[in-house]
Amino acid sequence: MKVMLERVRKLLNDGRIDGFIGLRLQHGQPAPYMFTKEDRDDLESLIVGDVRYPLNKALLRIARQNPELRFGVMVRGCDERGLIELFKWNQLNQDRVIPVGIACSSQLAEACECYKPYPSEWVVGEKTQGVSKSKRLQKIEGMKQDERLSYWMGQFNKCIKCYGCRDACPMCFCEVCSLEDRNFILTGKLPPENPTFHLSRAVHMVGRCIDCGLCEEACPSNIPVRTLYKKVGEIVSEVFGYRTGESADGKSPLNILGEVTLDISDVNK
Amino acid sequence: MAKETKSEESFEPKIIAFLCNWCSYAGADLAGVSRFQYPSNTRTIRVMCTGTISPHHILKAFQKGADGVLLLGCHIGDCHYLKGNYMTIKRVAVLKGLLKFTGFQEERLYLDWVSAAEGVKFAEVVRSFTQKIKELGPSHLKTSFS
Repeated sequence: MKVMLERVRKLLNDGRIDGFIGLRLQHGQPAPYMFTKEDRDDLESLIVGDVRYPLNKALLRIARQNPELRFGVMVRGCDERGLIELFKWNQLNQDRVIPVGIACSSQLAEACECYKPYPSEWVVGEKTQGVSKSKRLQKIEGMKQDERLSYWMGQFNKCIKCYGCRDACPMCFCEVCSLEDRNFILTGKLPPENPTFHLSRAVHMVGRCIDCGLCEEACPSNIPVRTLYKKVGEIVSEVFGYRTGESADGKSPLNILGEVTLDISDVNK
Repeated sequence: MAKETKSEESFEPKIIAFLCNWCSYAGADLAGVSRFQYPSNTRTIRVMCTGTISPHHILKAFQKGADGVLLLGCHIGDCHYLKGNYMTIKRVAVLKGLLKFTGFQEERLYLDWVSAAEGVKFAEVVRSFTQKIKELGPSHLKTSFS
């Protein structure tokens, strides 16, 4: 914790960053806050723990409005994957963002079933073992086809179409959202057209979802959307050998025109 | 009982076929002018390239009650826009994986390549796909969740 404070203070004092986006208690609740050079005395109120928040989303918003400024941001393993993808998707300028890493606790890593619960460099916490096999996926894959269908339709039909999953998602950066396109999604009806609504969002998560799980935490109806997007990540890694946010090399497979190793017989099997 | 068997036999699926303008639509045309017989369950939508078909369109077709969705495009390397069909195959691979995971029969979505010279193949693909959908029966989206 102290190391974190010193690191941030040094970055601000040296003028390497204009603001640091982290969390602090506001009205007793952890909330995002941008610490600047002027209020660096407030840095004492910075909190670090198992609380998670889409800080990248806040960063994206501020950076869009202030493209000339440089920022520091608190990152976990998932946030770092998110930053890597946001750089690749040209949403953030890599030269203007300095991540300050924290490693997640083993309980958190377990709860998230995160395969890499630590960023490449961190100042707080200790490296814990990632989870390679997701029990949530195994549970659903173990069901029969009709069981899976009724399970998912039951879950999807709880949707109240609040767009909480999209609004919390640090990777949902589009200015126009196809989930609000009246030609694709029927308006004025609840639940939304299922499975179209949820599968459309899932398709958009290809090469984007970094498995932070904030969508599921935001969902007021407790739809296990994270499980669905975990599967998207698994499909992308199995079919294209691309792990979202893992390294700065390569691009999302659906973001490249051409380069296909698939054969038609692989798809229709 | 006998009545049930009859209704099963008389099930005529609705199949939405997206055909690319440059290859498969011409292939369908060739099948037509050559008088190759194939079932009339497909409703054809001509698109300029299979690469223009978004997963949204496919999902919407299923949502609106299609029993099957057929995508036919140019062979890899023959795309009029060079690499449109490269996108299609990637999208379909992902979408099929998702449909399978959520319990929808992913066989109801079928992608194949039919060139302008392959009238016989067009008729054959439509025939076998229609047969498969007939065996699968009406879409679960229509029967269980409407």
